[in-house]
Amino acid sequence: MADGNAVTDTALREEVRAWLAANWKPLPRPQPGPGGAGWTVSPEHKAWLEQVVDARWAVPRWPTDWYGRGLSDAQGRIVEREFAAIGAPGTGQDRTNLWANTALAYASPTFKAKIVPALLKSQVGMCLLYSEPGAGSDLAGIRTRADRQGDHFVVNGQKVWTSGAATADFGMLIARTDWDVPKHRGISFFFCPMKQPGVEVRPLRQITNESHFNEVFLTDAIVPEENLLGPLGAGWGVLQTALAYERSVMGEGARGPRSGVAEATNEEPLIALAREAGVLGDPLIRQEIAKAIAYKKLNALNNARAKADLKQGASSSIMSLGKLAMSRILHEEARVRTQILGAGSLLEGPDHPRAEDANFLTLNAYFTSIGGGTDQIQRNIIGERVLGLPKEPEVDRDVPFRQVRGNT
Amino acid sequence: MASIAAEDLTALTDSLHRLLQDKCTEADVRRTMETAEGYDPALWGQLAEMGVVGIAIDEAYGGVGAGPVELERVMEEAGAALLCSPLLSSILAGALVQALGDEGTKSRLLPQVANGSRLATVALTGPRGGWTAASVSATASASGDAWTLRGKAAFVTHGQIADVILVVANAPDGLAVFEVEPGAAGLTIKPLPTFDHTLRLADLAFAATPARRLAASRPVWDAVEEALDLVRVALAGEQAGGAKRALEFTVDYAKTRAQFGRLIGSFQAIKHMAADLLMESESAISAARAAARSLADGAPDAKAAVSLAAFACADAFSTITATAIQMHGGIAFTWAHPAHLYLRRARADAQLFGTPAAYRERYLEALGA
Repeated sequence: MADGNAVTDTALREEVRAWLAANWKPLPRPQPGPGGAGWTVSPEHKAWLEQVVDARWAVPRWPTDWYGRGLSDAQGRIVEREFAAIGAPGTGQDRTNLWANTALAYASPTFKAKIVPALLKSQVGMCLLYSEPGAGSDLAGIRTRADRQGDHFVVNGQKVWTSGAATADFGMLIARTDWDVPKHRGISFFFCPMKQPGVEVRPLRQITNESHFNEVFLTDAIVPEENLLGPLGAGWGVLQTALAYERSVMGEGARGPRSGVAEATNEEPLIALAREAGVLGDPLIRQEIAKAIAYKKLNALNNARAKADLKQGASSSIMSLGKLAMSRILHEEARVRTQILGAGSLLEGPDHPRAEDANFLTLNAYFTSIGGGTDQIQRNIIGERVLGLPKEPEVDRDVPFRQVRGNT
Repeated sequence: MASIAAEDLTALTDSLHRLLQDKCTEADVRRTMETAEGYDPALWGQLAEMGVVGIAIDEAYGGVGAGPVELERVMEEAGAALLCSPLLSSILAGALVQALGDEGTKSRLLPQVANGSRLATVALTGPRGGWTAASVSATASASGDAWTLRGKAAFVTHGQIADVILVVANAPDGLAVFEVEPGAAGLTIKPLPTFDHTLRLADLAFAATPARRLAASRPVWDAVEEALDLVRVALAGEQAGGAKRALEFTVDYAKTRAQFGRLIGSFQAIKHMAADLLMESESAISAARAAARSLADGAPDAKAAVSLAAFACADAFSTITATAIQMHGGIAFTWAHPAHLYLRRARADAQLFGTPAAYRERYLEALGA
């Protein structure tokens, strides 16, 4: 950067190191939250984040008016590497803090001044109020409404697949504020206060018999006008920014077996399982195991090739295949595990950990093949954005939303 | 194993791509595949001159001195263009001579294989296919220093046009490799009608056929496996390249064919098939290139990597070419459309040198199961 005040990489590295050396003390191990859902932020962790924010290391790429240093992305990485080298959290939030980045980009001046530092310091808990029972793949078809009354909005509707709703202070909410324009244009984006009588959170029991998500019922919930992000009716655009941050930081959501029973060796889990079950000599099972392992290995090879392409500056179409690939890997692994166990998969409970694993994976594979865009939506995206196939005509695209057919 | 600089490889694949665009069009393929010899000698000469034929043969014997990585890339181009040529046969024969490690044989045979002036092949498997040590059915016996062969070798690639025929046979002291003259006494070469018209296969029958035993500096089956692994990587490259091209022309068609007032590519029924095929195509390329790299590096996982590529690329090429016909609809049910040429090639490639099921078994063995 041709900035007169630009710091050299070396000076920056030394400054971070010196600051960390003077201030960093390892934190206690994080504890799982109530019911195993999410992680609580300890008081020591919060105190550390406060130090990091005050020293302007939390968001080094952000402007100096906003807790940052105006560093380039490359220099931001230098700061991140120094923090990572000693295991200190808190920096790089300009890249990874979905909530703070969305607020910085779109919140009103009065609200931004309050919320941004609180978000950077993890002083407020957050959740997402996007999906609805009637708006899954077609997110722009939401029917939760926000009606202006004086200096606030009154929100009514139902949201679903919300994790962390019970402890959140705010939810990032999309709601319809104009019913007389086409669906994408009548949506607004809010920071909805969660701790109020109009917000009811009910845990959702999943097919795996776990509860990681909630339903959120909004009944005359109040959202102050200053909590509107971006202009009224421009929420779809704000959402795209928020989703982009979410995708860029979302690790793979897939989980392995939950039995906690360690597999005996370092070999491929399916091979170990078949050996244990005494069916490793079955040629039919062997074919299925080889196919399932191959799906996993091929995905790893694809990812490695994509990374190598990116390093050479070539964009890679392979990246978009990863989620679809993972969905097949998980469903196939579950299927082959079940085949290996045979009748053993009829059972459940702590005395039958292998059956627990196979059955859990069978059901939890849908977390990946439905959540975050179904396999079918992913195939549309790959077909249209990677292969350049024409889009499906959209019958509701230019119709006032009031006239669009909903779920009855 | 040896390799050449990355920019040299790019230059080679670029000029090969241009040559094939010019001399290996669909019309050229259709014309060549109906000839008795099944390849275009002029194009073969150009490929040899470019270094493609001798790419994996050491420089000391007139080759390019490159390795599996370069070979695989070259084969992606050849596969995409549906090249009709005895390239795989020459690669296998050249690799076998190198793997046997005998200096005399190498200097006698390799230069003319590398420069394309003599076509070479390996007769290995018996009538049931398999390309395994157990599937070798020809036998050899000696009277003094003179060896003769009896029995059969089946599915010999380009056996009817080969100038150099290397036969793997059971000798009294174990497997050995023999060189047989195409015009040798007691040798019957029976050309086979092939489902893939771009391929040439022959059955060989030996009736006390005189043969020259080739010296080996190592166990013969190890040398054969080494040569087979190289040709498997070459075949994987051909499959990955062919699969990619078949997907490309199918997607292009879906962008131009209109039904019900819409381009058919806008239908999710078609779009979703295309997305799934892209996964297969990209996975095939990744697998073929990774196998080439592992083999070149002599990595401990080379056997697993080659086996994975062998079945992943075979399955991808078969699936993509089969689905391509369905996605085209009626037009691809005609002889005039190229889709079936790729399907025929895919089905042939999925049998040569081993089957996908056998490679899956080999893959598990390599993983220790």
